[in-house]
Amino acid sequence: MNLKKKIGIIDYGAGNLASIYNALNFLEFNVKIISNPDEIKDYSHLILPGVGSFGKLANNLRSKNWPEKIELYIKNGNFIFGICIGMQLLFEKSEEDKNANGLSLIKGEFQKFDKKFNLPIPHMGFNEVSYTDSPIWKGIKNNSPFYFVHSYRIENTRDESLKSKTIYGEKFISFIEKGNIFGSQFHPEKSHNCGLKLLKNFTELKN
Amino acid sequence: MIKKRIIFSLLYQDGFFYLSRNFKLQKVGDVNWLINNFGFGETCNYIDELICLHVKKKPTNKDKENVFKDIAILRKKIFVPITLGGGVRTLMDVNNFFLNGADKILLNTSIYDKKLMQEISEIYGEQAISIMIDYMRSENNDINDIYINCGTEYKTNLKSFFDSYYENIPCGEIILNSIEDDGTGNGLDLKVIEKIPKSLNNKSLLLMGGAGKAEHIVDGLSFKNISGIVTANLFNFLGTGLEVSRKKSLDNKINLVNFDTEIKI
Repeated sequence: MNLKKKIGIIDYGAGNLASIYNALNFLEFNVKIISNPDEIKDYSHLILPGVGSFGKLANNLRSKNWPEKIELYIKNGNFIFGICIGMQLLFEKSEEDKNANGLSLIKGEFQKFDKKFNLPIPHMGFNEVSYTDSPIWKGIKNNSPFYFVHSYRIENTRDESLKSKTIYGEKFISFIEKGNIFGSQFHPEKSHNCGLKLLKNFTELKN
Repeated sequence: MIKKRIIFSLLYQDGFFYLSRNFKLQKVGDVNWLINNFGFGETCNYIDELICLHVKKKPTNKDKENVFKDIAILRKKIFVPITLGGGVRTLMDVNNFFLNGADKILLNTSIYDKKLMQEISEIYGEQAISIMIDYMRSENNDINDIYINCGTEYKTNLKSFFDSYYENIPCGEIILNSIEDDGTGNGLDLKVIEKIPKSLNNKSLLLMGGAGKAEHIVDGLSFKNISGIVTANLFNFLGTGLEVSRKKSLDNKINLVNFDTEIKI
């Protein structure tokens, strides 16, 4: 099963797929961009990228029946990694578009950063991630910097999962791991060697 | 809380990267030369962001396509946030830069085009807009004159800019680029800092022009309201230049992120 080592990037209308494609290609993986949900059964590791808005991308996922296919894919023990809005879409809801539904693989709702900290919104730039250790962080120092661009964040979730946190005025979840589901609010593909290492560690996970 | 930044800037036209001194360009090498001879992929481990500016005057569509081809080559080797710009006049120019890998767009002459700036801000958000102000000291040293069109056309002065224009220009950051110090390596123009309003409404202020050694970068970053230093000096800052600058800044307790460059992938 896990010898396939084909990495798929889900193409569902999110922007800037080339950056994540280049990063995985640089790591010498066999990486493909997939726009047909039926194809994901051939993959062991999927990336759900995300540059765009929650509502629009949530609807794009639904209009092509990605949610059912992704659910089955995960039940079969395969791995998924959501990046930025891709991470937000692993959860249920976001204040950005209250009518839209995420994949609901993890419980919780995203809210806009609190204005009371008088910090620029979106949160943009490198910031440190204090992680909860697990194999995906292998070889990466705790509190390493990763690149963020986002206005919405989730402070916590009732779901049992491994949470890594970042502080921007307030503490929020910058990385989450629940079984074979992973999500980063930051962009590993823009985060130098640490980001590349994290992507590499993800692709090396085995069930 | 918000980290300061060291940004490297590349100047590009007709398939080559250039050095600039007082806005006069000198050719140095093409994209492969940059990656191979200067170990550019390595160097990028020490910068927070990369800027790539297309400096050709009146570029044709063919010229613009060529920029994107070389940027695509760079993007296969470099995994940092990228700001692109140069010759942006229309929303289509902007869209093309974003489609070809820009995380932010850099504007100079077009920042006075209210309609265009509004459109960019509505589509991409003001955090994705970086504005560059090219200026010169005038005879009266208290006044700084602002130029547009690659430094060839006088527009306004720095005081009027902040009094009359600034509020209506959506942007996330402002880069002050000193034409007289550009490429000299003699040090940044630190005097300009006191001429900037104290509050820029949560926008970042960056200095560019004149950084020739690590100490210059430390000097600039030591100012509380300076968020970053931009340098385009290929010869001073490739090799170990950026690494040393970063280390010296961290040694001086400047709030930069500390990239782990030893990490094994």
